[in-house]
Amino acid sequence: MVLAGIKRGETVLEARGITKRFPGVVANDHIDFEIKAGEIHAILGENGAGKTTLMNILFGLLQPEQGEIYMAGKRVKFRSPLDAINLGIGMVHQHRKLVSAHSAIENIILGHPQAGKILNLKRAEEEVQGLCDRYGFKVDLKAKVWQLSEGEKQVVEILKALYRGAEVLIMDEPTSALTPMETEKLLASIEAMARDELAIVPFITHKLPVVLAISHRVTVLRRGKVASCIKTEHATEKSLAKEMVGREVIFMIERAMVEKGKPILQVENLSAFSDKGFLALKDVSFSICEGEIFGIAGISGNGQNELVEVLAGLRDAQRGKVILDGKDITHASSLERWRMGIGYIPSDRIDVGSIGDFSLVENVAMNYYFDHEFSRRGIVDYGDLRKLTEEIVSEYGVATPGPDVKAKNLSGGNLQKLILARVLSRKPRLVIADLPSQGLDVGATEFVQNKLIEAKKGKAGVLLISEDLDEILSLSDRVAAIYEGRFMGILPGEEARKESVGAMMAGLRLEEHEL
Amino acid sequence: MRIGNYALKLEKRVTLSGWGAALISILAILFALLLFSLLFILADINPLAAYQAIFSYAFANPFGLPLAINRFIFLLLCTSAFIIPFKAGLWNIGMSGQLFAGALSAFAVVVAFGGKKFANPYLSPGLLIPLMLLAAALGGALFGAIAGFLKGRFNVNEIVVTMMLNFITFWLVSFMIKEGGPFMKSGGEGDGFELPSSIFGPLIKGIPFTIFIALGFAGLLYFMFAKTNIGYQIKAYGLSPAAARYAGIRTFMIPLLVFVMGGALAGLAGYHYFAAVPGLYKIPTNYGYFGDLAFYGIICGLISQGNPIAAIPVALLFGGLSVGGRFVQGQLHMSFGVDYALLGVLMITLVAFQFFYRFKIGWVKAGKESLDVGIPG
Repeated sequence: MVLAGIKRGETVLEARGITKRFPGVVANDHIDFEIKAGEIHAILGENGAGKTTLMNILFGLLQPEQGEIYMAGKRVKFRSPLDAINLGIGMVHQHRKLVSAHSAIENIILGHPQAGKILNLKRAEEEVQGLCDRYGFKVDLKAKVWQLSEGEKQVVEILKALYRGAEVLIMDEPTSALTPMETEKLLASIEAMARDELAIVPFITHKLPVVLAISHRVTVLRRGKVASCIKTEHATEKSLAKEMVGREVIFMIERAMVEKGKPILQVENLSAFSDKGFLALKDVSFSICEGEIFGIAGISGNGQNELVEVLAGLRDAQRGKVILDGKDITHASSLERWRMGIGYIPSDRIDVGSIGDFSLVENVAMNYYFDHEFSRRGIVDYGDLRKLTEEIVSEYGVATPGPDVKAKNLSGGNLQKLILARVLSRKPRLVIADLPSQGLDVGATEFVQNKLIEAKKGKAGVLLISEDLDEILSLSDRVAAIYEGRFMGILPGEEARKESVGAMMAGLRLEEHEL
Repeated sequence: MRIGNYALKLEKRVTLSGWGAALISILAILFALLLFSLLFILADINPLAAYQAIFSYAFANPFGLPLAINRFIFLLLCTSAFIIPFKAGLWNIGMSGQLFAGALSAFAVVVAFGGKKFANPYLSPGLLIPLMLLAAALGGALFGAIAGFLKGRFNVNEIVVTMMLNFITFWLVSFMIKEGGPFMKSGGEGDGFELPSSIFGPLIKGIPFTIFIALGFAGLLYFMFAKTNIGYQIKAYGLSPAAARYAGIRTFMIPLLVFVMGGALAGLAGYHYFAAVPGLYKIPTNYGYFGDLAFYGIICGLISQGNPIAAIPVALLFGGLSVGGRFVQGQLHMSFGVDYALLGVLMITLVAFQFFYRFKIGWVKAGKESLDVGIPG
C-alpha cells in the first residue's frame, strides 16, 4: 500500500501529461490532474471530451501512450485494474458491475484477498456494517442485488471499493440514476468520506448543481484537453458550462406559451405487462393537446418503457384504450401509427433508435422507407433520401464528414440529433420523446429541448419522459409522476415544484403530501 | 510482440473498401495453397505440379471444365440460398435438405405426368420443364418456410431447425429412391429413376441452362439488397431486430420471407444437379455427396461477405477446386480426399483472415518509455 499514512491535504494521486490516441482522435491530450487526501475533485466534460478515457487510464483499464501517474509522489504503472485496486484506487461504475443473483455482501467480498478459500461472511458483514454506519449508507447486506434499487446498487459498489481499501474513489456519473432524495443522501455520504481523508473523483457530464454542491475543485475537460482547473467556490453553473462547451449556454429554457388546441392523444385506463410478465403499467389515463408538452417524471423502470411501447404500437395493451385524433388505435400496428403521425424517439438510441452499421442515409430511411414519396413500386429512392439526409444533417447541425458515414461513428449527441431530425422532419402530430437528453452534454441537451419546444410551437403534442426533474419542470405544460406503473398525480406546469414532484417520483400520492 | 527496437502493433480498421476486402481474400487463398502444399510435400509430391494439375484440369481441360462449371452453378445457387437469410442475420444450414426437397418435388411432377413409365410424358417438354423448375423452387421454399415460420413466430433457433430438416429430407430421399420407393429405378441398384431424354435440362453449348438462373438470381439479389424496399427491410432486420421493429418492420414476416426465398434457390440447385447436369438426370444412390457439397455454400457466402456478385468468383473457385482436387487425387495416387481437404484448409484460412477485415498490423518504433514495465512500491 503506497498510501498508508498519508495526511489530509497531501497529494494522493497525480497524473502528468496523460496522452491517449484512438484512430482519428486524440482522446486525452496532455492532461494534468491532481487530487489531495480528503478532497472532492470533480471532472466535468461533455461526451467525447475524454472523460471516460481518462477514467479508464486512472483505473488501469487503458494504458496511456505518454504521461505518468504518481501515487503519493511515487511513479506507478497500472497494467490492469488489479494493479490500480491493489494500490488503493476504487471505482464506482455507472453501469453497475455486480452479480445480480448474489447478495450484497457476497458482491462486496468478491475478489477481496481475505475472502480466500473459506468465507467468513459474518465477520465481513460486521466490518461492512461498520462502514455503513460511519458514512450513513442504508442497505440490506443480505438482500440479493437484483432486489435492490439503482441507488442501493451504487451503495454496494461504493462499499465494495471501500472494503477493498480504496483511498481514491472514482465515481462515474454518481447521481445520474438517483431520485432527488437519494442524491441528497449520497452527497452527504460523499462528504463524510472526504472528512475521513478519502480522495473522491466524481466524473460528471451535465449535473452541474451536483458539482457545485459538493466538490472542492473542478477540472473541466474539453476536446481531450484540460480547459480549466479551478476551486469550486470561484465557479458558477454558467461559468462551468461555458468552459465545457466553449461558448455561452442559456440555462433557462422559456416555456413557450402556445395556444392549446384540441386533444390529439387520449389514453384511457391503460395497463400493460412487462417482458417479465408482471403488470408494469397500471390503469394510466391522460390526454395531450395540440401545442402541449406533457411531461412524465419518474425513475427508469417504473412503467415508462411499457407505456411508451404501447403508445408506439410495439407492445400490446392488457387493458384500456389509446385514441389518436378521435380514432381508436389500440390495436394498430406500429407502421400504421408512424403513418398516422406518431413520431417516436426511443430512449435506447444505439440499439433501437439507430442501426450502427447503416449509413446516415439508411438510418434516415428507417422512418421513411414506407413513404410513397421515397419508395415507389418497391424501389427505395436512395437519391432523394440522400438529399433529405443532407438537408436535415445541416439543419440540425449533426457533425459528420458526410451522409455515407456509418451511424456508429457518430458521438452520442450527434446520433441523438440525427434521430431527432429524422423523426421531427416527418412533422408528426404526436412526438413521443423517451429520455431524449439522457447522457447528452449541456450543449446537446439544450439543442434537443429547443427542438421539442419548436415541435410544440408547430402544434404537435409532445409526450416527454425524463428522469431529470429540471428538464421536466422547465419544459412541461403539465407534469405527471409515475411510480411502480401508476400515476401519482398530474400537476399543471406552473404549480409543479421540485419537492412535490420528487416526492411523487418516490411513491407518494399527490393528495398524500402538502404542496 | 517486440523485435529489437520495433514492436508489432494491432490497429483497429475504421473502414475497409470492397477492393481491400477482395485483396485480403486473394492473399488468404494464396496462403491456404501454400499451407496445403505442405501436405503434398509430405506425400512426396511437387506442390507446384499438383496445383498445376488441379487448376489446368478444372479450368482448361475439355473434360474438367464442364464438371467445374456444373459444380459452380450448384454452389452459386447454394451460396445465394445462404446469403438471403444471412442478410437478415439468420443462418441457413439447411441448403442440403432444401435441395433434396426441391429435387424430390421436381421428380414428383415428372411422375405425375407419366414421365417415369413412358418415354413421352403427357405434357410437352416446353411446359413440363418449367413446371419441374417451379416445383423444385416450391419444394425448397416449403422446407425453408418451416424454419422461417418457427423463427418468426416462436423464435425457435433456425440453425437447429434447418439442420434437423437436413436429416429428415436425407432419409426421405432414401425412402423414395431405394428398394420399393415410388421413385425407384426399375431394377436399379439404389438409384432413382432416370428422366426421359425429352425432358433433360436443355444445354447451351454444353453448359446447363441453369447457369442463367444462377447468374440471374445473383444479379437480382444484388439489386434487391441495393435498391428495393424489401431488401432494405431485410438488411435492417439483420443488423438490429430491435431497431427494425421500432421502424415498423414486421419482424414475423422477415424470417419467413428470407427462408422461403433461400429455400427456393436451394431447391433450384437440386433441380440443377439431378435434372440438368449431363450424364446424371436422376437422383443417384450417392446423392448424399451433393448434400455435403451444398455446405460449401455457407463458406462461399461468408467469404463473399454476403455480396451475391462477389459470390460468383468464389463459387467458381470452390467448384473448380473440388473437381480438380478429386482429379489429382486419382492422378497422383494420393491416399486422402484432396478435394474436401483442400476446401477445408481454404475455409479455415479464409475465416482466419477475416481478422484482417477488422485489424491491420503495423510496426512501431518502441520508445524507451514503454520498455519499463512494473510497479514500484
